[in-house]
Amino acid sequence: MADDAMATDEQLILEFQRGSHDAFTELFQRYRELIYSFFRRRVNHPSRAEELAQETFVAVLRGAQRYEPRGTFRSYLFAIAYKILANDRRKLSQNSEGAGPGLDFPGPSAPGGAAPGRCETGIWVREAVEKLDGNDREVLLLREYEELSYEEIAGVLRVPVNTVRSRLFRARLALKEILAAAPGRSVRKENALESSI
Amino acid sequence: MAYLDGEIAADRAAEIAQHMQQCAECKALAADFRNLSQELLAWEIEGPPARLTEQVNERAAAVKQTTAKLEVIEETPLRRWFGKIGALKTKPWAWASAGALAMLLLMAGGISTLSRRASAPSAYVASRDGASLSTAMAHGSAQDEVRRQLVNKREEVEAMEQKLAQARVASSLDPSDGQRYTVEIKPGEAQAAGGTLPQSSPGVAPMIARTASLSLVAKDFAAVEAAVKAVVSRHAGYIGELNSTTPPDAAKTFSATLRVPSAQLEPTLAELKQLGRVDQESQSGEEVTKQYVDLAARLKNARATEERLLGVLRNNTGKVKDVLEVENEISRVRGEIEEMEADRRALESRVDFATVQLSVTEEYKASLNGAPLSLGTRLHNSFVAGYHGVVESVIGLLAWLLESGPTLLLWAAILFSLVRWPVRWAWRRVRRAVKPAPKPAAA
Repeated sequence: MADDAMATDEQLILEFQRGSHDAFTELFQRYRELIYSFFRRRVNHPSRAEELAQETFVAVLRGAQRYEPRGTFRSYLFAIAYKILANDRRKLSQNSEGAGPGLDFPGPSAPGGAAPGRCETGIWVREAVEKLDGNDREVLLLREYEELSYEEIAGVLRVPVNTVRSRLFRARLALKEILAAAPGRSVRKENALESSI
Repeated sequence: MAYLDGEIAADRAAEIAQHMQQCAECKALAADFRNLSQELLAWEIEGPPARLTEQVNERAAAVKQTTAKLEVIEETPLRRWFGKIGALKTKPWAWASAGALAMLLLMAGGISTLSRRASAPSAYVASRDGASLSTAMAHGSAQDEVRRQLVNKREEVEAMEQKLAQARVASSLDPSDGQRYTVEIKPGEAQAAGGTLPQSSPGVAPMIARTASLSLVAKDFAAVEAAVKAVVSRHAGYIGELNSTTPPDAAKTFSATLRVPSAQLEPTLAELKQLGRVDQESQSGEEVTKQYVDLAARLKNARATEERLLGVLRNNTGKVKDVLEVENEISRVRGEIEEMEADRRALESRVDFATVQLSVTEEYKASLNGAPLSLGTRLHNSFVAGYHGVVESVIGLLAWLLESGPTLLLWAAILFSLVRWPVRWAWRRVRRAVKPAPKPAAA
């Protein structure tokens, strides 16, 4: 359908509610990378990220009838994703012992990066972000990578907007310090550029 | 920072932009943040694998199939209905309304049972003929009671019918029988009636024993007793019996049996009626002529017998045994004579003197302070009655529950099991049809 390209997310989900599976396909196309990278940045193994991304879309499929256009579709989608993420983290912390707070946020030595065809650039950024406080980090990630508005972030994390602002501000300041303090930053940058696929 | 993120209102944005041109610190901070964002973009993630797309598409297709199948399956209205019933069991409001409905049914059943009970005794009381008692017999638990009542009623009816037959016989004024007539005189008709006497046996003047009864309502009760006595003595009569009651909360009554000469009966009654308002009046006369005549005849015979026996005794000096026999006979006859003479005297008295049954009631003025019981006593009585009422109602409810409970439970269980298994079976069939069939190996 040609006019799907111009349709908003909200229109598409409503169309899907009415039974148009093409609408869902379109939505999926729009958001698959974003959702995948959402999980990829927050979860250990890429395979796990893939599963979680799949679960997110399946949840959208199943819950389509219950969807009510309250906020943007984007915030609805990320709320689902965040809930799935939280469940996964809880399961992980229950299953394994001695779980640290940053368990699901591995360093560069994580086995996930060893899989063929999977790589990420800017590892030092990941390391720096890892050093941030958990709550602040989440806000930063949602802002910088998922590009959610303050309102949407507030909706996903279920905190007031002002909390979002203060956390974001704190995160940015802190990150600036961390990145400034990281030795050989420019060198790393160059290396990253070279090794990027 | 909001300005940087584009999260600020346009007018404020303009302000901030202007400010930043002037404030070096803010400008520097803004630059830092911008660089930061740029740097963060260096952390790139590879795109999702194609597998993700495939898997999601698969799931989407499965869901599509499911909804399509569900639409097909639900075509049958019956299945749809069963499905809805099955879905209802998850809804709390369905349970709540079902519970409320059950409660209503229980209450309705209880009320109807209790009301049936309550009306049954009054059915016994209200019915006068056997017909309605027979219908009351349909109520199972009191059948014996009803049968007994029915038998009693029948006996009563038969007795009444007998009396009625007798009365009919009696009312046909046959001169040859001893007759009795009763005349019910309404107040006011007394003067007109006058008292017509039937013809008795020819040759003998009719002897009537007259009785009258009179009920009065007197205003001036205190004077009544004295007045009655005065009237009676004026008419050369006497008082046979006298009764007076003064209950605290009701009208005073005065009743007396007066005997006045028969000739004086009418004047006496007339004077008595002056004492108050006549409530009820009746007169009756019993014709005792025949009895008197019989009695006189028997008396004569008896006397003659006595004479003869005495003559026998005088004349025949026979054996001692015979003499003794005769003397026994004489004493027996004498005894009879005495009796008969007494009877005759009584009859004569009755004829000579009429009997008046008088009852006088005071005109009752209910007093304001009529309650005999004190306030405390009344409250105490009410409290006790209330307590009894509560106990009775609780016991009654428990008894009803015990009585009806098992029956209701039985039927509820039967109905529930009747409905449940088909619903479950239908629901399972729906579910089974909906579950996606195992897919062949994905391409």
